[in-house]
Amino acid sequence: MTATAPFMPPGTVRGPGPGPQGPQSVVPPSSVPLTFFVAAGVGMVAFGLATWFAADRIATTPTHPGVVSAVHLGVLAFLSMTVLGALHQFAPVVGQRRLRSTAAAWVTFVAILATAWAIPTGFAHGPSWLIRAGGIAGLVAVLVLAWNLSRPLADRDGGLPLVGIRLSVTFLVITVAFGVVYAFDRQEGWFVLLPHRVLAHAHLGLLGWLGLTYVSVAEKLWPMFLLAHRPSTRPGTAAVTLIASGVPILATGLLFAVPAVAWLGGVVTAAGLVAHLVSLFSCVRHRRRRIELLHIFLFTSAAFLVAAMVFGLLAGALDVSPVMRGRLVAAEVAALIGWLGLAIVGHIHKIVPFIGYTALRARGIRTTGDGRPLLFSHLFAAVPARISLVVGTIGFALLVAGTAAAVSGLIATGGCAIALTAVIVVSNLATGPRRATRGVTAASRDDSTRRTP
Amino acid sequence: MTAQNETTSQADVEARAQDALSHVLDPELALDIVALGLVYDVRSTADGVEVDMTLTTPGCPVSEQLPAEAEDALRHAFPDREVRVNIVWDPPWTPERLSEEAMDTLGFRL
Repeated sequence: MTATAPFMPPGTVRGPGPGPQGPQSVVPPSSVPLTFFVAAGVGMVAFGLATWFAADRIATTPTHPGVVSAVHLGVLAFLSMTVLGALHQFAPVVGQRRLRSTAAAWVTFVAILATAWAIPTGFAHGPSWLIRAGGIAGLVAVLVLAWNLSRPLADRDGGLPLVGIRLSVTFLVITVAFGVVYAFDRQEGWFVLLPHRVLAHAHLGLLGWLGLTYVSVAEKLWPMFLLAHRPSTRPGTAAVTLIASGVPILATGLLFAVPAVAWLGGVVTAAGLVAHLVSLFSCVRHRRRRIELLHIFLFTSAAFLVAAMVFGLLAGALDVSPVMRGRLVAAEVAALIGWLGLAIVGHIHKIVPFIGYTALRARGIRTTGDGRPLLFSHLFAAVPARISLVVGTIGFALLVAGTAAAVSGLIATGGCAIALTAVIVVSNLATGPRRATRGVTAASRDDSTRRTP
Repeated sequence: MTAQNETTSQADVEARAQDALSHVLDPELALDIVALGLVYDVRSTADGVEVDMTLTTPGCPVSEQLPAEAEDALRHAFPDREVRVNIVWDPPWTPERLSEEAMDTLGFRL
């Protein structure tokens, strides 16, 4: 430390201004991401229950409308809802630029909520126009999203995460456009919705949109959460580049049933996913803090990614019956949902406390009810969080195993465990702030605890 | 004011600022920003106190929160002086800046 005349050193960007949630804050109101997350929690419960209800069909006929309904609940109401909420928070923070409009964020929420429930309902119970209406609402949602995020995503200093998100949002728009075409095709009959065409759509959504978003965001979050300074970020760069390159090739090969193209895209995408795992290994190896709950979530989640790649490889390489191939592909899709689902459940234990902490601080609350300085870890209970890891892992594992082995009992049990996981996580995170700040009075908020060592 | 008095005054400002900043906790790591090595420079200026601090990485989720809390803590330590907190990225933060106490708390030695 020195005591010198004032100067503005190189690299100085700005003072803090009035702080989070103030007029100069780049983040949207906390109600925006939190509303997405609550809806996602309900979506995860619904996904688990839908899996339970559709267990027999998943085991015997993975292309049955009831199964398609359950998958859409998982991908739209749970996974996409969470990722969309997180992006409304993450992109402004990393890009250091605000969203174009908070109102537009609410439009996206309402539209994607309608999509996430109309499409599965249409598949499960009809009428079929619900599927088309859901598709149109989804298109509105993602176009508004792309416009709204375009300001923070235009930041040129955001590095790899923002580059990856630009690409993944593009994949999202393409995926939804595909879905709308498919939805109308069911009525108009422009082409036959063969399984390989449905798979093209599924891989665009699961890998191009959700997977690439997670891989990109992880390159920012992992080094922070593990306090890891890696000698090289090349694995992360390779992951984003290869996945973004491989998915369109894979989808094209599947769409037009050209195995050589699908294989090429599959290999490039798999190389990207392996690079993503190498990046995780590198972060863990160079970490500067103890292993904690999130890290266990990451390892467990990564195991599902490995399983998904194995199932995908077997489905493409083995000379098996169409029924067996369908089962392997269904297991691959289930494992991909497990990969992303567990990663989301893990990260949500960081993201929601962060948002809650910021909101509490903005209200002048600086300590817990017993006078300790408020920390992220005070905003959820550790035991339920660990239970959610165990129950969630069991749930997704049973779903994958049951799908691969065509055992409906395993699938049904897995579905119930997934729904239970969602209930535990949502109740834990929702009650955390109240539990942590119980006893904090207005009088004690600002002054008495400021100097707490 | 003599040169010695000026030096004493600046040292006092620095000590008070360091003490104030040592109560600003990173809410994720449960360590204060001084122990984390995030505070780069404390200067006594003609009309106030100026601090250069960094974050563990650009785009950190607490990139708005921590500097605001640091500024708040300094304002309470120096109620009659201007306070300015600059976020600097040069040089970038590295784990080598962690204090011994911080490394012990994190449970991981370099």
